[in-house]
Amino acid sequence: MKVRPPEETDFKSPTHGPRVSARIGLWLGIAFGLCFATGLISHGIQHPAAWFTWPSRPVNLYRITQGIHVTSGVAAIPLLLAKLWSVYPKLFGKPLVKSIPHALERGSIFVLIGASFFELLTGVFNVAQNYPWAFFFPTAHYAVAWIATGSLLVHIAVKLPVIREALTRKTTEDPKPTTGALSRRGFLLTTGGAVGVAVLATVGGTVPWLRTVSVFASRSATGVPINRLAAAAGVTAADSSWRLTVGDRRFSLDELRAMPQTTAELPIACVEGWSATVTWTGVPVKDLLERAGLPAGSEVQVESSEKGGLYRSTTLPGTHTSDPLTLLALRMNGEELTLDHGYPCRLIAPSRPGVLQTKWVSRLEVR
Amino acid sequence: MRWVIGAVGLVLLGWGAVELLPVVLDSPLSLGGWLVGGPVVHDALIAPVVGVGGVVIARVLPKPWRAPVGAGLVVSAILVVLSIPYLWRSFSGPLTPGLHDRPYLLGLLVALAVVWVVVAIVGLTRRENTPAAP
Repeated sequence: MKVRPPEETDFKSPTHGPRVSARIGLWLGIAFGLCFATGLISHGIQHPAAWFTWPSRPVNLYRITQGIHVTSGVAAIPLLLAKLWSVYPKLFGKPLVKSIPHALERGSIFVLIGASFFELLTGVFNVAQNYPWAFFFPTAHYAVAWIATGSLLVHIAVKLPVIREALTRKTTEDPKPTTGALSRRGFLLTTGGAVGVAVLATVGGTVPWLRTVSVFASRSATGVPINRLAAAAGVTAADSSWRLTVGDRRFSLDELRAMPQTTAELPIACVEGWSATVTWTGVPVKDLLERAGLPAGSEVQVESSEKGGLYRSTTLPGTHTSDPLTLLALRMNGEELTLDHGYPCRLIAPSRPGVLQTKWVSRLEVR
Repeated sequence: MRWVIGAVGLVLLGWGAVELLPVVLDSPLSLGGWLVGGPVVHDALIAPVVGVGGVVIARVLPKPWRAPVGAGLVVSAILVVLSIPYLWRSFSGPLTPGLHDRPYLLGLLVALAVVWVVVAIVGLTRRENTPAAP
């Protein structure tokens, strides 16, 4: 038998071709669209432009958008692989390059596939806090998201007639392959099944009732995760000389405890997609600003006694400082905060990324 | 319409390239490897393995088993891919309480067992009602 490289016409399985790839492409496009939109939201909250605002209600809003971000990314992994399988014969199309537009198109597809794999794989590694690369993940993941989305739009523009044809043409179902191999329908069902399994295996990181089913959830089945330990942040337990500074006022821990307390069930929702619902008790930031004589609804700089780190100091926008559920929490689930959860007090605001829920708060300053 | 979509795409692409520039200058090799690695590994390794796997299944397995085993292999491969960031942790920081501390290997084995029980059930029930080849 003579061995030669495959040609486009060698691939005879019904799992290739526009009718499969247009359908899977549609699902993949939806997954990418959700992922991109929710990613922009999360980026906007963490690096707000002057025109950007993010509501503090419903309290679970960020938990949902970020859960969708990570879940749609996970769902896109089997979809991307199935999509590539459906068009794999095209890789062997001859001639390799027909014209300059054809060369540009092939080039744009290479960019699209490279950027797509980059986003999905760095995303799932980052969820596991595993960083087998030298670059700073948020910057690279954000920039490549624009490249992936841009090259996807270019690809859709080029293929629009083929997509329309494949999705609207009325066809009779092909006979099942007599070999017993996967039919087109079987391939689509298998892809759907793989998406379902991938989602089930991971989504319990944020969906409580799937917590035990999701074998690859990033958080434990019980308890409230701790992302940064006091030891890692260089924080030691505060003594009786500790004071919280709010503008010109200083509050001791006993003074904070003596103020009217609010108890609220609020999620802590990580950018990495996990979330946990906790019952927090503490003083509304709104009340503290009022006692310090600071204008209600001010944008506030929240500082921590952490020695360093990216999130030592965060900005709390006016929408959140005026919300009575934005708390400087002293207790969680009925017990005093432990040092690793932010003792003596931590910020907990509704609908905010976990990295901005500053622990070991030492100062609130109006910006 | 096509021209509008294409033009918007090019603008986003260009914006992404501008945003990526600092990363390119800072760690070109690591970034380049991750950007090019996906398509290369897919086209040269993953897709050929899937293709050869399909041919082997068609030659070795009895007809009723071919589709369920193929689907089972696909789902198993996805589970393995999702488990890698948890099982190969050479580049992760120290574990903190409540995060990344599940028995991931056991979880993978249980999930694979469930998948293959389903494959077995489907294969056994297909045996009777698959039409004979013409």
